[in-house]
Amino acid sequence: MGDIGSTRSLPLPVPYQNRVLMLKNYLKIAFKVFLRRKFFTFISLFAISFTLVVLMVAAAFLDHTFAPHAPENKQDRTLGVFFMEMKSPNDDSTWNGTAGYGFLDRYVRTLPNVERVSIFSEPDLIHSYQNGEKIPAYIKRTDGAFWQILEFNFLEGVPFTETDDKNANAVAVINEATRKKFFGSDTAVGKTIEADGQNFRVVGVVANVPFLRQIPFSDIWVPISTIKNDSYKKELMGNFIGLIQARSAADFPAIQDEFKARLPQVEFPDPKEWSKLRGTPETYFNSIAREFFGGNKDHSKTYGGKLWAAIILAMLLFMLLPTVNLININVSRIMERASEIGVRKASGASSWALVGQFIVENVILTLFGGVIGFIISRFVLRVITESGWFPYAEFQMNYRIFLYGLFLAVLFGLLSGVYPAWKMSRLNPVQALKGASR
Amino acid sequence: MFKHICKLVWNRKRINFLITLEIFISFLVVFSVIVLAVYYADNYRQPLGFDYQNVWNIRVEIVQKSGAAEKEERPQQIERYRRVLAAVREFGEVESAAGATYTPYMNGNWSNCNTQTTCYWGNAVTDDYKDVMRINIVRGRWFGKEDDGASYKPVIINRQLAREMYGDEDPIGKPLNPRDKMKPGDKEDDKYVEERIVGLLNDFRKNGEFAEMKGYAMFRNSLSLPDDRPPRALAVRVQPGTTATFEEKLLKRLQAEARDWSFTIKPLAQMREEMNQRSTTPMTAFSLVAGFLMVMVGLGLIGVLWQSVTQRMKEIGLRRAKGATRQRIYNQILGELLIITTCGALVGVLVVVQFPLLGVLGFATPKVYAYSIVISLALIYALTAICGLYPSWLATKVQPADALHYE
Repeated sequence: MGDIGSTRSLPLPVPYQNRVLMLKNYLKIAFKVFLRRKFFTFISLFAISFTLVVLMVAAAFLDHTFAPHAPENKQDRTLGVFFMEMKSPNDDSTWNGTAGYGFLDRYVRTLPNVERVSIFSEPDLIHSYQNGEKIPAYIKRTDGAFWQILEFNFLEGVPFTETDDKNANAVAVINEATRKKFFGSDTAVGKTIEADGQNFRVVGVVANVPFLRQIPFSDIWVPISTIKNDSYKKELMGNFIGLIQARSAADFPAIQDEFKARLPQVEFPDPKEWSKLRGTPETYFNSIAREFFGGNKDHSKTYGGKLWAAIILAMLLFMLLPTVNLININVSRIMERASEIGVRKASGASSWALVGQFIVENVILTLFGGVIGFIISRFVLRVITESGWFPYAEFQMNYRIFLYGLFLAVLFGLLSGVYPAWKMSRLNPVQALKGASR
Repeated sequence: MFKHICKLVWNRKRINFLITLEIFISFLVVFSVIVLAVYYADNYRQPLGFDYQNVWNIRVEIVQKSGAAEKEERPQQIERYRRVLAAVREFGEVESAAGATYTPYMNGNWSNCNTQTTCYWGNAVTDDYKDVMRINIVRGRWFGKEDDGASYKPVIINRQLAREMYGDEDPIGKPLNPRDKMKPGDKEDDKYVEERIVGLLNDFRKNGEFAEMKGYAMFRNSLSLPDDRPPRALAVRVQPGTTATFEEKLLKRLQAEARDWSFTIKPLAQMREEMNQRSTTPMTAFSLVAGFLMVMVGLGLIGVLWQSVTQRMKEIGLRRAKGATRQRIYNQILGELLIITTCGALVGVLVVVQFPLLGVLGFATPKVYAYSIVISLALIYALTAICGLYPSWLATKVQPADALHYE
C-alpha cells in the first residue's frame, strides 16, 4: 500500500523523518488551499480571531482580578474573612455584610497556628480639597501586619507599623497617583495631606494597585486607630476584612475548623437582638463565588468549583456559535477538494489519514487565527487599560493567558474540524473523482 | 412553488440543518441582547419622579454603637443632626436641605417585606425632602404638622405599590401593613403600629432611569420621635451655578459641627452618571460582542450560500434552459433561505417562550418580552436576507449553456 499519510496503522518503528515529511506536506497543501479561496480564508480567520479575542480578553480580566499578582504574592497561603452573616434568635432578622473590627480582633487575630493576621477596612471614597479643587480618593484603614502580608512596591519611604497603629499616629501611605494629585512631581514623604477632615503625614509612597484587586486596593492607607470614634472596636459586624496568612495551604482546613469552633463562643452584647454568627475564612475567589451563588447561605460548602464550572460553561456556550459557523463553512467547501480526495483515496489513503490531514489543516488555520487574535487582544486590552474605566488597571498578556489562548485555538480547531473532516473522508472515491455533488 | 422550495430544502437537509442550527443560535444571541435593550428602553421612558439637577448628596457616616447603647445615644445623635441641618441651611447658596436614609442614585437599598406578599423599597425622609427633590404628589398630601403625635405612621407610596396592595381602589387612608396580612410573628406583636398611606406619588425611581419598576414607600422622619434615627444622608438643593469651592466651605462647616462624623459631598448629577453607567457599560459590551458575532454569522452565511450556488450550477442551468426567468431563480434561492431562517427562528421562539414559564428572565414583563421577540425576528430576517442578496444575484448570472456543458 502506498501509505503516504497513515497516522494510525503504521507499526511503531516509524522512520521519524517520514512523519515530519508528512506534516510538511500537510502544511504545504493547507497553505495552497488557504490562498486559493482568499474570501473563505478571510471569513474563517475573522471568525476564529474574533472568538479568541473575546475569550482572551475575558481571561485577561479574570487573571487581572484573581491571579496572584504583586502585592498579593502570598495569595496561595492567605485566607480572608470577607462576608459574615449575623442572625437574630428566631432567625427573622439577618445581617449580611463584612465583619466588624471587634469580632476580628478578638476571635480571628488570636487564631493559633497561623503566621500573621491583618485587619483592614474596605476602601472608602473621600474627597480632599486642594486649592479649590476637589480630589477624590479611596482611603483604607489598616493595621501594621497588612504591610507584611502584602508586599507592596515602595517607591518612597516605608510602611507604617504596628506601633503607629497602637499610638494612633496620623501617618499615611499613599499611591503614586495620589502623590501626583497632591504634590505634582515632587516627593511626598514628610509632607502632610488632608483627608476626611484629618491631617496625615505621608511616610511612604507605593506603586498604584488596581481597583479590581479589592484586598490591597486604595489610594491612601492610614492606621485603623485614626478612626474618629472608637465604637468600631466592639462591633461584631462592620466594614472590616480579616486576612490570615497561613504557613502553607495545607493548614487551611485546620484554620477553618478552628474558626468555626470559635463562632458559637462569640459573646453578643445583646443576645436578644443578635445571637448567631456565621462565616468562613476562604480565598478571595471562593468568597466572590459565594456572593455570586446566592450569598451566605451554606457555610459548610465552598462555591469556587461551581464558579469555575460556570466560567467554563459560559466559554463553551460562547464558542458554540463560532464553531457551528466554521463547521458550516468547512462542510460547504468539501466539494472544492473532491478531486484531491478522489485521487488520494484511489491511491490507497485510508479514511483516517484523510481525517487526520483535514483536522491538522483546520488546527493550522485556527492557530493562525489565534496569532491574529493575540495581536488584536493586546490592542483591545491596551484600549481598556487606557480608558480608565477600571482605576489603575493594567490588563496585560502573560504566559498564562498565552497558553490558554493556544489551548483555545487548538480546541476550537478540533471542535470545528472533526465533523467536516469526517464527512470529507467519507466521500466515495469514484464520485469524488467525477466531482459529483451531494 | 412553496411546496417545491420546501422539497429542495429537504433534499439538502444535512447542510441546511447546520444552517438552521446556526440561525437558531444567532436568534438566541440577538434575543438576549435585545431583551435587555428593550427592558432598559422601557424603563427609561417611565417618569423619574424627582429633579436631580442642582441637588447635592452629602453622605453622613455616623459611627453607631449597637443594641442598648445605640438607643441611649440616639437623642444626642438626632440633636446633632438637627444642628447640622440648620448649619447647612444658613448658607446663601443653599435653597433647601433635607435628611433621607437614601437619596436618589445612592448605593444600597432598604428592602421591606412586611406583609406576606408585597415587597418594596423604603426610605425615611424629613419634611423638606419634597422641596429638595421637587416631588409631585398626585393624590393625598405630603407629610406635615398634622402627623405630629398621630397614632399611626404616615407613609407615601408610588402607584406601583398602591396597585400591588389595593389594585384599583383608592389607597389613601388605608394601611400599608394590614394586620391580617402580616407575617405570623409580627401579627401578634403588641407594638403593631398602623402605617397609614397619606399620599400617592406617580413614581420615585431611586435607582435611576434604568432601574426596575418596583414599589416604593417613603416614611416620615420627624427627627423627634424615639423611633427616629439620624438619616444617613443629606439632600441639599443649591443655587444653579454653585461650584466646588462652596463644597469645600460646606464640608469645613459640617466637620466643625460634628467632629467624629464623616461627610462626603457629591452632586446627584454625577452620581446619576455613575449609576447609569453601570447599566449602559455591560449593555454596550454585550451589544458589541453580539454585533461582531452577527457580522461573523453573516459572512459565514454568504460563504455557505455562495458555495452552494456554485455547486448547484447544473441544477440552476437546467431550470434556466427549461425557461425559468432570472427573477424566478432569484426568488428560489431567497425563498429557500427564508424557509431555513423560519425553521431556525421558529425553534428559537419556541425555546425563548419557555423562559418566563421556567422563571428565568423574570425581570421582563410580557410586553417587553413580546417586543423583544418581534425585534429579534426582524433583525434575524434582515440579516439572512442581506446575506442572501449576493449569492442569489450570482445564481441569476448562471448561463444555461455553461452550466449544462459542465461535465
